[in-house]
Amino acid sequence: MTFDVPVFDVKNLMLTINEQTILENISLQINKCEYTALIGPNGGGKTTLIRLLLGLQKADSGEIRLFGVVQKDFQQWDKIGFVPQRAAQVDLNFPATVLEVVMMGRTAKRGFFGREREEDRQAVEEAMQKMDVVHLKAKLIGTLSGGQRQRVMIARALASKPEVLILDEPNTGVDIVSQQRFYTLLRELNQEEKLTILFITHDIGVIADDIGRLFTVNRSLLTCNDPKEAMSCSEMSNLYGIDAHLLHNHHHH
Amino acid sequence: MIEMFQYEFMQRAFLAGIIIAVLASVSGSFIVLRQYSMMTETLAHSALVGVAVGLLVGSSPLWTAVVVALISAWTIEYLRSFYQLYSDAILAIFLSGSLALAVIIVSLAGAFNSSLFSYLFGSILSVSTEDVLTMLIFGGIALMVLLAFYKEFYFIAFDEEVAQTSGVRVKAFNFLLVTIVAVIIALSIRVVGTLLIGALMVIPTVAALQYRQGFAKTIWLALGFSLLSVIVGMTSSYYFSLPSGATIVMTVLIVFIVSLVINRR
Repeated sequence: MTFDVPVFDVKNLMLTINEQTILENISLQINKCEYTALIGPNGGGKTTLIRLLLGLQKADSGEIRLFGVVQKDFQQWDKIGFVPQRAAQVDLNFPATVLEVVMMGRTAKRGFFGREREEDRQAVEEAMQKMDVVHLKAKLIGTLSGGQRQRVMIARALASKPEVLILDEPNTGVDIVSQQRFYTLLRELNQEEKLTILFITHDIGVIADDIGRLFTVNRSLLTCNDPKEAMSCSEMSNLYGIDAHLLHNHHHH
Repeated sequence: MIEMFQYEFMQRAFLAGIIIAVLASVSGSFIVLRQYSMMTETLAHSALVGVAVGLLVGSSPLWTAVVVALISAWTIEYLRSFYQLYSDAILAIFLSGSLALAVIIVSLAGAFNSSLFSYLFGSILSVSTEDVLTMLIFGGIALMVLLAFYKEFYFIAFDEEVAQTSGVRVKAFNFLLVTIVAVIIALSIRVVGTLLIGALMVIPTVAALQYRQGFAKTIWLALGFSLLSVIVGMTSSYYFSLPSGATIVMTVLIVFIVSLVINRR
């Protein structure tokens, strides 16, 4: 049996923009099959941290390893599925059917001359089934509801058969019923498909039962190894200026 | 209709026009969705500098246009990757800067004449057999590259950052796209002219977008509109002695307005 290297291994990340410290001394490790959440106030650096992990932005110093490989040498980006914050706010007039959007997830794996192979079609079909959007496949992305569009974006991320799923505040503009259904789905993906999940949110209450570990970021980062221990986490949350009531309420009812 | 094909220059012009219609509409679809529409105008003006250099030194203006358009495209793309916030300002600077430079070079060459006019607005009479061959070969290569990587271009147009995080080499493909577009624009100036080629790249796609279809259907529609405009435009240009580029652009504008009206919400 091979020793499992962490999916993300971050050491002493620092980022300063215009003499303002955005992120300070960030170190974290996320292991395979973990379900983790990253919370923090707006402007606390959550999205920036994710952008650094994904190589969309560069840190001033520190080291990021993905699956044990130093980020600049990392090639297997198809192992990481990313659903960005603005997933629910795509250009509504963009000419793209649901099928075309989910197929984008296969771009890095496609055959010569962009030809769709049988395995591409299969992966796309499977991803659409998992996210329950098969019946929407001929529809234009701009005609869907916020919740449907969110599922399509996750289906696109799943189409490359990733080992990790990163979701940046995916619930912006999505109704409660869709949200509940969505959390159930994420739990299944984590438990049954063994997908590593990193969920960025400012509303931790609803998934507190599902997640294994919680990271709080507000310039610097703290790790909470047991989110169900509401006390320690709420102390941590207070320290970082995050409203912990959601956590409390959730566990006391 | 048959009568005009008795002339060899009309046969050449039609062939050239059809090649341009295909190239401009297909590449234009990616350009419009990528929100690079102004890039076409800017590169067309840069191509004019190439034409001016060609007229000055007496070499084929088509080749110098390709070279200058390429240099300009790469420089713009390079600058844009540094000054993202001011990318439209960069385009504006290159556009007027190129025009000024072209005018100076042309006046040095003492060539403020019909020859320049034909490059500004296109002239079906000026299309030589050599031009058609050049368009066929380089246009063919440009189209092949575009189709080979259309999924990458499409993904980048839809969501550049997610494309990058899924392993698509966004910077390289952005350079590739402007390279293809620079070549296509430089090839097109014989038929449509530098001042009008932007319209043929942008308008068919915008017209096609009015029908609210998926990407594949939108490209086919844009191609159809483009071919229709070139054929109708060139035919009327022949029968009514109108400048070909302007007639083609007016036709595609009519197609756009009709599309807008029948699809209004």
